Amino acid sequence: MFNLPIEGEELFVLEFGDIVNYFSLYTTTLFLFATAFIIIAIIARPERQTDIIFGTDAVYTKEVSPDNLRFQRFMAIACGLATLGAVCSGDLFNFCLFTALIGITNIGIVAGVNNRYVLNAAYNYGIVAMVATTFLFGGAATALGSCGTLSIWELAGLGMVPLAAKMFLVLGVMGEGMAPFYIAKAEITRAPGAPYVLMIHVSSLLIFLRVIEIILTV
Amino acid sequence: MITLILPAVFIGLLFHGIHRKVIARIQGRPGPPIWQEILHTLKFSFKQTWIPKTASMPMYVFIVAVSIAIWTGAFYIVFSGGSLLLLFAVFMLHKITEHGLGLSSGSPYGKFGAIRSVMSAASEIPLFATIAGIYVVTGSLMISDITKYQEIHGPLLIHAFPIAIALYIVILSKMHYGPFSIIEAKEIVSGNRTEHFGVWRAGLEVAYALKTFVLLAAFVLLFIGALPWYLMLLAMLILLVSLSFVCAFTPMLSPFDAVAMQTVITGILAVYIIILGVMG
Repeated sequence: MFNLPIEGEELFVLEFGDIVNYFSLYTTTLFLFATAFIIIAIIARPERQTDIIFGTDAVYTKEVSPDNLRFQRFMAIACGLATLGAVCSGDLFNFCLFTALIGITNIGIVAGVNNRYVLNAAYNYGIVAMVATTFLFGGAATALGSCGTLSIWELAGLGMVPLAAKMFLVLGVMGEGMAPFYIAKAEITRAPGAPYVLMIHVSSLLIFLRVIEIILTV
Repeated sequence: MITLILPAVFIGLLFHGIHRKVIARIQGRPGPPIWQEILHTLKFSFKQTWIPKTASMPMYVFIVAVSIAIWTGAFYIVFSGGSLLLLFAVFMLHKITEHGLGLSSGSPYGKFGAIRSVMSAASEIPLFATIAGIYVVTGSLMISDITKYQEIHGPLLIHAFPIAIALYIVILSKMHYGPFSIIEAKEIVSGNRTEHFGVWRAGLEVAYALKTFVLLAAFVLLFIGALPWYLMLLAMLILLVSLSFVCAFTPMLSPFDAVAMQTVITGILAVYIIILGVMG
């Protein structure tokens, strides 16, 4: 792709006017992986998490109410679709836009659990994601200011994008894909996980993989 | 290429058996026969299989299939000389399957295994350092280009030794009974695999055998170069035995120590790569 020995050959190009998405061997792999998990989010029923009643030998299973299930499923599908957009985007602005959307939907997935500790965590993640948006779009703005374009097609192989812009992009993605924050806190043990919570990790890892490809390419 | 998958699975399982045997002999135990893991896989293939009532279906089953699929893909990438970045992606996606295994069953032990799996995502950072270092040295991320580079300039193991150490640590973090194997620690039963048994466990054994084979082969290709198949297997075996020695002598670290150690290693490598990049 782009005659660079980085991500394998070009497979397909999808044009929307001046927005030109591309599918290399690398981005297609990411795209297919995200698609598989969207299908799973649509058809899978949630796990019934087993938990121990503190101080006793008793265990119980947590049930997800139909309302919560519908909301979390919607958010997981939206998150998956945003991930699809981010992994095949051919310009930095669209990548940032889809990544920000992933952050928003991730917060939605967490906030869909009716538990005040989990909701508190969702609020914290919201702050992290908002701060990360500044870095994300700051990175894109710096790239635009120094290169005059955000098209990866134009920027590929030139090495014109400043290191600071690349670092901002990586920081932004780390904040928006908040899997590490979610794991570092204990809320994941309170919230039933599969398949909706898993979508947070799928999207986080996929945008991280995509941003690595982007910073190596531009 | 497809016809090579079965031998690769067989050799991967045999490597797991050798790994257990070496650890046992170092620790003064007789240990299981080296074909034990092959027998395990066959046994699990024919055991009664069912799905827990608490599981998220069909994800509980799907995640096993994904695990096999991504390592089959990785096998293809390595032996077709594909992109190292794609191999990195597979390694990261493996983290999702580890996580999904634990989350999908509804078991608290599985969930703790899944949480540890994400915490130990730090083990991917040395891999990123490896990729960045190889790109700085060879100017390419295509495995075919990297092996050609070594034909001209000699093995990367010699003139990029710290990068080889980074990949060695990545492989070590994925070995059973290793210092970084916190997701399979016995205090959480079998961690994220606790509720996957019968044919699902057999599927996972196949995927993990492929994973071991691919990672060892990738190390040999990236740092020694292309070899005839018998020398390649010998080099992989020597590498495996060295890993078994480390696993036998090192206690399992606590989750936070494991993450801290991998982060420190990555920091040292980052400095090395920056120096390498600046020196040209």
